[in-house]
Amino acid sequence: MLATSLSKKVKYQKQWERFGYAMISPGMIFLVLVTTVPLVSLLVMSCFRLDLTYPPGNGWVGLENYLEMFKDARFWYSIRLTVVYTAITVVLQVVVGLCLAMAFFRGFRGQGLMRVSVLLPMILAPVVVGLAWRTLILTPEYGILDYISILLGFGSKPWLVDPTWALVSVIIIHTWQWTPFAFLVFLASLNAMPQEPLEAALLDTRTSWQRFRYIILPMLRPAIVIVLIFRTMIALRAFAAIFSATGGGPGTATEILNLYVYRVSFNSLDLGYGAALGTVLLLITVGVSMVFFRMRRSSIS
Amino acid sequence: MSKVTRRQFLDKSMKVGGLVFASGIAPAFVKRAFSEDKHAAYLNAKINWRQVEGTRIKVLVTPAHYFNKFRAITPQFEELSGIKIDFDIIPPREMREKAVLDFGAKSGNYASHTADPMYLSLYEANKWVEPLDNFLNDPKLTDKAWFDLDDIIPLWRAADSVNGKLYGMPAEGEATIHVYNRELYEQKGFKPPETLSEFMQTAKELNKIDGKIAGAAIRGFRGAGQNMYIWPSLFLAWGGKWFDANGVPLVNSEPGIKSLEYYCELLQNYGPAGVENWNWPEIMEAFAGVNVAQFIDSNSTASIIENPKKSKMAGKTGYQRWPKGPSGRRVSSIWNWTMPVNAVLPEKQKIATWLYIQWLASRPTQFSSAVFKENPDAVVRTGVNRVSIWSDPEYRKVINFTPDYADVVLTAMKEDTDSDWRPRVPQWPKIGEAMAVAIQAALVKQKTPKKALDDANATIAKVMKRS
Repeated sequence: MLATSLSKKVKYQKQWERFGYAMISPGMIFLVLVTTVPLVSLLVMSCFRLDLTYPPGNGWVGLENYLEMFKDARFWYSIRLTVVYTAITVVLQVVVGLCLAMAFFRGFRGQGLMRVSVLLPMILAPVVVGLAWRTLILTPEYGILDYISILLGFGSKPWLVDPTWALVSVIIIHTWQWTPFAFLVFLASLNAMPQEPLEAALLDTRTSWQRFRYIILPMLRPAIVIVLIFRTMIALRAFAAIFSATGGGPGTATEILNLYVYRVSFNSLDLGYGAALGTVLLLITVGVSMVFFRMRRSSIS
Repeated sequence: MSKVTRRQFLDKSMKVGGLVFASGIAPAFVKRAFSEDKHAAYLNAKINWRQVEGTRIKVLVTPAHYFNKFRAITPQFEELSGIKIDFDIIPPREMREKAVLDFGAKSGNYASHTADPMYLSLYEANKWVEPLDNFLNDPKLTDKAWFDLDDIIPLWRAADSVNGKLYGMPAEGEATIHVYNRELYEQKGFKPPETLSEFMQTAKELNKIDGKIAGAAIRGFRGAGQNMYIWPSLFLAWGGKWFDANGVPLVNSEPGIKSLEYYCELLQNYGPAGVENWNWPEIMEAFAGVNVAQFIDSNSTASIIENPKKSKMAGKTGYQRWPKGPSGRRVSSIWNWTMPVNAVLPEKQKIATWLYIQWLASRPTQFSSAVFKENPDAVVRTGVNRVSIWSDPEYRKVINFTPDYADVVLTAMKEDTDSDWRPRVPQWPKIGEAMAVAIQAALVKQKTPKKALDDANATIAKVMKRS
């Protein structure tokens, strides 16, 4: 009697489990199709010579594409640019975002409107941002920024034309668009802060700098780490705004790794080498994020 | 259907063409030619236009004015043949990528597209496209006498051939020419420059003559179809050769370095601010707004420059062939939008695609589309594919921007270039990319011209050796 009821129970349990699997399977299959399959095919492709411009030479080459990178000066240049671009934009976003958040935290008249306008850039598509900056803001003599620079007596600047200025320009564009994200996160965590330590700090500290440095900043640490993780991952994969503003040029002055991957795969039609470069970009992104996640864990404990 | 001789046919088309100018209203003419005359010009061809009636094909095209015109009159083809044509309209760079991905995946989405002739070697190497001989030599599919392939600009056909076989049909094209501000030239007492060093001199003297105008502009934007569409003319004008007899690249030879130095000197000293990112539209607009004194680019810019609604330079512009380089040669570009047939299509669709291409490249379509007004501001086509139309007095009347414009362009297309103006090899996409980066890097002083070309030459050598 007991045995049969138990087996019934087990059977029921099994049925229930099967039902569960059936319910999640469409989602799982979809996820595998759109994430795992492309990832695996990327890895496989990176071990082939898949060069549309010379089909007879195509075939399995193992790690040759990866070895090729060591001799590829344009690749190393793009790596250097990626590091510079990512580091500067992320630091700027955190610093500027924090300043803005502190300013808004105090509260002032008309801050609702200001808050909306600060958030606006984030809503735009990066490709639109790149084009708008290229045409409306940075065009020599007619662009807003160049016009202001002339009015202020600095003269017209070769924003997207000179290699160094072009890099500065794309860094400004990225920072302009994504600082609102940092701002939003910092403002939210400032608002969520317990009031007691802040009130106590008012008595215990002499300057507001001390309050900021020794009370607020440590309490914001988890938020800062989160912003660092998100923004670094996005900056490493930046594409559309640079693509539409400079196309990676002039020359190769703003060609970060992601743009180089695109050039190799879709302009030079070297899909195998492009896949290998893409894999390296993926490994860098994963590696950097893991370091940050470890930082986050230590900051929580 | 009676066989009509070429002479009678030309005569007829001329009369029909004459109607346009008699009435002065192109759309009315086109309507008449197509509906009342009911495809008469096409029914003269001894083929059955309706042999694959009911077939549907998709064609990928760029949103340029000539293809807007072709698209606008395509319903006439659909009526004639019973074939349905769908279009995807995408700007050139993305279009090229889409076409290659479609070929690579063998999905056969696009029966044909507005191809870049420089890509035909690549297409052929991958067996992605059909040799057009298969269609041209089949009397069921082509009336050779009616179609008259030989009338299509010979160098374009050469540029669209791989190992002597035609893989794409020229539908529209252009040559680069020297376009200058005639008023400023007269003011300074200049004659149109005969040589490139005289050209540099005029640029120097006209630069900032009124405080703002730039001396000269040519394409500075990076791309195989941008700066690498202008510099090859300089390279060849200095006597450059792409490869030696053993296939070793020679872009960093003396002609390469000297011509790139010339290019940089011209644009860095006398070019407009920001020219490093300019393609032809920016150049044309700056000229039309009297911000650039002269430029060298496509002859098709004339139809905008001579439109008083869009340009301050209408009626004040001169056109001439490229000035001569140190080698004594004037070197123009070679360009046409070419239509291939996708090799993975089922037989019926291949035939439908060929019939459409034949219709598009035929004399009647080329003629009627040239003056077709797809919108009230439409410009005239300055890139028809047939020598007979270029020498047709009626066509010359509509492109009579200056008395010698038509001759300048036709001569440039016939004499000032050759089919190997740029290296026609399957590896072209890589070579074009490497050269485009090198030219721009030198222009913005990221590298010296010599260093830029040394690097590019090494890249090209590697690409070619790998094969």
